[in-house]
This record gives sequence, structure tokens and C-alpha cells, in this order.
Amino acid sequence: MSKLADESVQVEELKNVDELKPNKIIDVRGAICPHPLNLIRDTIVSLKDKEILQAICDHEPTAKENAPRFCLRRGYPLKVIEQNGIWQVFIQKIEKTEPRLRVLSVSKVFRTNQGKVTALDNINLTIQEGEFVCIVGPSGCGKSTLLNLIAGLDKPTQGEIWSNGNRVTGPGSDRVVVFQEGALFPWLTVMQNVEFGLKLRDVASNIRRTLALDYLKLVGLDEKFHNSFIHQLSGGMKQRVAIARALVMEPAILLMDEPFAALDVYTRETLQEELQNIWTESHKTIVFVTHNVQEAVLLGDRVIVFASNPGQVKAEYEIDIARPRKIDHPEVFLNTKWITDDLKEELEEQSYKANAKKEVVYR
Amino acid sequence: MSKRFIKLALFYLILIGLWQGLALLKIWPEYIFPTPLGVLETLVTGFEDKTFIIGILISLKRILIGYGFSIVLGLFVGLLIGRVKTLDETVGSLVLGIQALPSICWLPLALLWFGLSESAMLAIVILGSLFSIIIGADTGVKNVPPIYVRAARTMGAKGFQLYTKVIMPAALPSIISGFKQGWSFAWRSLMAAELLYVGLGLGHLLMMGRELNDMNQVIAVMVVIIIIGIVVDRLIFARIENKVRERWGLA
Repeated sequence: MSKLADESVQVEELKNVDELKPNKIIDVRGAICPHPLNLIRDTIVSLKDKEILQAICDHEPTAKENAPRFCLRRGYPLKVIEQNGIWQVFIQKIEKTEPRLRVLSVSKVFRTNQGKVTALDNINLTIQEGEFVCIVGPSGCGKSTLLNLIAGLDKPTQGEIWSNGNRVTGPGSDRVVVFQEGALFPWLTVMQNVEFGLKLRDVASNIRRTLALDYLKLVGLDEKFHNSFIHQLSGGMKQRVAIARALVMEPAILLMDEPFAALDVYTRETLQEELQNIWTESHKTIVFVTHNVQEAVLLGDRVIVFASNPGQVKAEYEIDIARPRKIDHPEVFLNTKWITDDLKEELEEQSYKANAKKEVVYR
Repeated sequence: MSKRFIKLALFYLILIGLWQGLALLKIWPEYIFPTPLGVLETLVTGFEDKTFIIGILISLKRILIGYGFSIVLGLFVGLLIGRVKTLDETVGSLVLGIQALPSICWLPLALLWFGLSESAMLAIVILGSLFSIIIGADTGVKNVPPIYVRAARTMGAKGFQLYTKVIMPAALPSIISGFKQGWSFAWRSLMAAELLYVGLGLGHLLMMGRELNDMNQVIAVMVVIIIIGIVVDRLIFARIENKVRERWGLA
């Protein structure tokens, strides 16, 4: 076991700028190992001394990816045993608890006047309990559509969505959405808005009040606004109330659809910080949709980049930065830059493709 | 506020003064051009011998029954066609078409169907106000931001709850406007209908003034009709409307 520590030392030696790059997550199940046998689950791989597990992927593996720990990230725990100078790595898929959310080959096609538009094409996602996942992509990449499908507000054309082990067939209070505009009800006070969902569940009024107070405190809304009407609140306060209104339902998954996009920079930064605090305190499973890469890097454990036309998962990044993260943290900056570069490449490629298509049409 | 009140008081004092002055010149006979004092006298005696009170009560009874019926039916139909597309395309278009008809034009039809009777009066009130109320509720429901419904659905609201907890409250400003408009249409058409019907209502008192060549009574009843219209519109509907608009943040 002591050799394991050695290995991490070796990884340290390899340290360069690349090492800071976020882990690109590779699905181990299909990966090929330098060893003659395919690296599949429940396989035991023998490694010689100092040999590092490698998987073939679409790019030169970075130092971090060379370490076996990336297997861990996918929920495949590794067991490393040293015997006679040979390491054995056991890759095992142990039955973990049911993932909070599973999106299985989901496609969504919209019928418009101009014909069919594929908004989402074969999306697969697994989100574990307590994960903070950010979905980022250019506008029109279907990220909000996916959120609507998860929320059950819309039905996928193909594929299935499972939440907490139940097939999603419609909206339910286990998946509450915080919308960009807040969507608070103007005819109710702040307190009544937060109590709205509990009232639907016939929760007794004193319990309702206590819970609402708790969550309004959690989101940091000043007590003097508890009986205000919605139009009397600032944009930031509205989003705080919207988050409280969602959290009070104790959803299994909190879905957030660009909740801070309409706020000014200062308010946004404060709320991003507070959302991190809320997440650290409550460890809710959060799916957060944004078009802002920096925001995604700042908030997410995992950033999923969407590409458009048709909407699909382009890449996944693991963000391994200690919390609480600050927006001006150099690692946040670097990660943002790398992901943005990838995204730009994608956009350029797309516009190139689109232009090529146009030329054909014009001829 | 007080400044505005002084302006208003001065304006009406001068107006009544001019009226009294003109009347004192005796250019026209009194049955054509009454004096303010004469009108006031008629008002006082009208209330003293209770003919005005009875007239007001009878007219109010008619409008309350008819208007109440309109609210129940109009709200039901309006909320329904606001949400059901097929109904909107069929019933909705009919309602819009009928709404273009001035409510007093229902009078001949009501008279033919019900004769000169209490039912005809009620029919006029209902037909006068129903369509405004339907359209108010319908517009309100159609303009409910879809995001409210979506938000409520993710919090577990479904079916009828969506109507009572989200759609109706969200549509309330428009529903109230429909009520207000419906009321003023109903009041106008009732007064017109009562002119033709010997049924002791305010309209009937107005017509009686004409038949007796009593200009004082004509003006006095007109004043009563105006005051009731203003009181209901300003003190009841405008207040509710303002409160709702304020609360909804529309003001």
C-alpha cells in the first residue's frame, strides 16, 4: 500500500501547466489498456512496478488522467494491491445507491413550421446524489430543453429519464425548478410564496411557517421583507426567494435554469457565493444550466459542455478546486479559459460547417 | 388633496351659481329650465315620501340579481374558453362578435321574448354585462405568464388546483376590469330598459318626470342615477382594481 503514495509522488513530479487542466472524464468501460486485456469492469489489471495505468482516449492523456483515480470518479472504486513487485489494480463496480438522476439516450425533436428541429440528440447523463452539475453551452444548444425534460414539463421524443429510481412522466415536487425570472407569484407575499408548495401538500400552517422561515434564513433574506410583495423586491432578492421556495420542498434534485443570468454582476457574485454555501450546507443534488462558463466552473463539481445543432454532450470536465471558490481564484480562471477555448473551437467548427452548407445551397 | 378638493368645490359652486343665475333670468319657462333649488327640493321630497328610495332599491335589486348571475356564468365561461382552445375558437369568436353589439340593442329581443316584465329587465342586465365579464376572464387567463403555471406544476400543483391557486389569482386584474366594465354596461342598459317599463325603478321615475312635465324630477332622478354610478364605480370597483394592481405590481 505504501507504494501507492510513491505513485502519487511520481505524479507530482510530472506536474506542469497541463496538470492543472480539469480531468476529462473517460468512460473506463470501453477503454483499452496497454495490457493485452481490455479494461472493463470487474477486471483485475496487473501493473508492473511504477507502471501507470493508461487508457486510450481521443487525446494525449494528461498527467492526472494517468493516475488511476479517474476511474474512481465514474463510480468504479479501485483497489491496489502490491505483490512481489507487481501491482494489481482491481476495478470493481460495486452497487452504489441508485443515482439521483439518469438520462438515458434522450432525444427531443420539435416540429416547427420549417420542419423538424432536433433540439437534443441522444443525451446520456448520470448524476449522483449530492453532485453539483453545471450544464453549459451556447444558446440554442438544448440545455434548457433538457432541464424541462428532467423537470417533466415536457416529454422526450425518445429515451427515458429516471429520477431517484422512478421514471419521470410529469412534473413532480421531487424536481423543483428555479427559473431565470424567478416566476414568483405576484399575488402572494414572500412568505406565502415560500409556503405555496407546502400548502399544496397540506402541511399544517405552523409547520409551514417554521420551514419557510428556516429556508428564508438559509438564503439570507432580511426578515423585514418577509411580508413584502414580489414587485417590491430587487432582482437578487427575488432569486433568493425563488431558491427558498424550491428548497423548502426538499426536492431530490434542484434544477436551476440560468437563475442568475438576469442579475447585475455584483448581485450575481454574491448569489453564486451563497449558492455554494447553501450547497455545502445542504448537499443537495443540483443541476445548474448556464451559458456562462466561468459560473459553471465556479459552482460545479462537474461541467457538462453542450454543443448545438443538434444538441448533444460535447465534453465533460471535472472541476477539482477546493471550496469555497472565489470568482477571482486563478484555478477558476484557468479552468474557465480551457473550457472556453474548447467551446470556441466547437463554435468555429460549427459556423464553418454552416457556411459550407450555405455555399452548397447558393450554388 | 385639499387643494384639489378646494378646486373641485369652487368649480361646482360656480357651476351651480351660473345655473341659478341663468334660471333667475327666466329666459325659459321652469318646466324647461329648472332651478337648482327646485331640483334639490324634489330630491328631498322624493327621499321623504320614499318614492326615490323605492326606485333605488328596485333598480339595485334588479341589477344585483342580474349582475350576480352574469358574474357566475361569465367567470365560468371565460375561464373555460381561456384554457380550452377549441372552445376559444368557437364560443370565443361568438362572444367577441356579440360584444360588438351595444347592450341596449338587446332590449327589443328581451321585450319580445319576455314581454314587459321583470324577466325582461333581468335579461337586459345579464346580456348587457355577461360578455364583458367573459372577455375579461378570458383575456386574463390567456395572459397568465406560462411560467407561473410551469413553476406551480414543478411544485406539485395539478388539475383543478392550477385553476384555483394559480390561473385565477394571476388573471384577477383582468377579471376585475371585466367586472367593472360589465357593471357599467349593466347599469346603463338597465336604466334604458326601465324607461319603457312601468316597474317603479329609477328609469321609470325618470320617465314619469317627463310625462308630468316635471323637469325638476327629471334632473333629480338623473342626479341620483349619476351618483349611484359614480359611487359603485369609484368607491367599489376602482378601489378593488387599484388594490389588485398595486399588489400585482402593475400600478
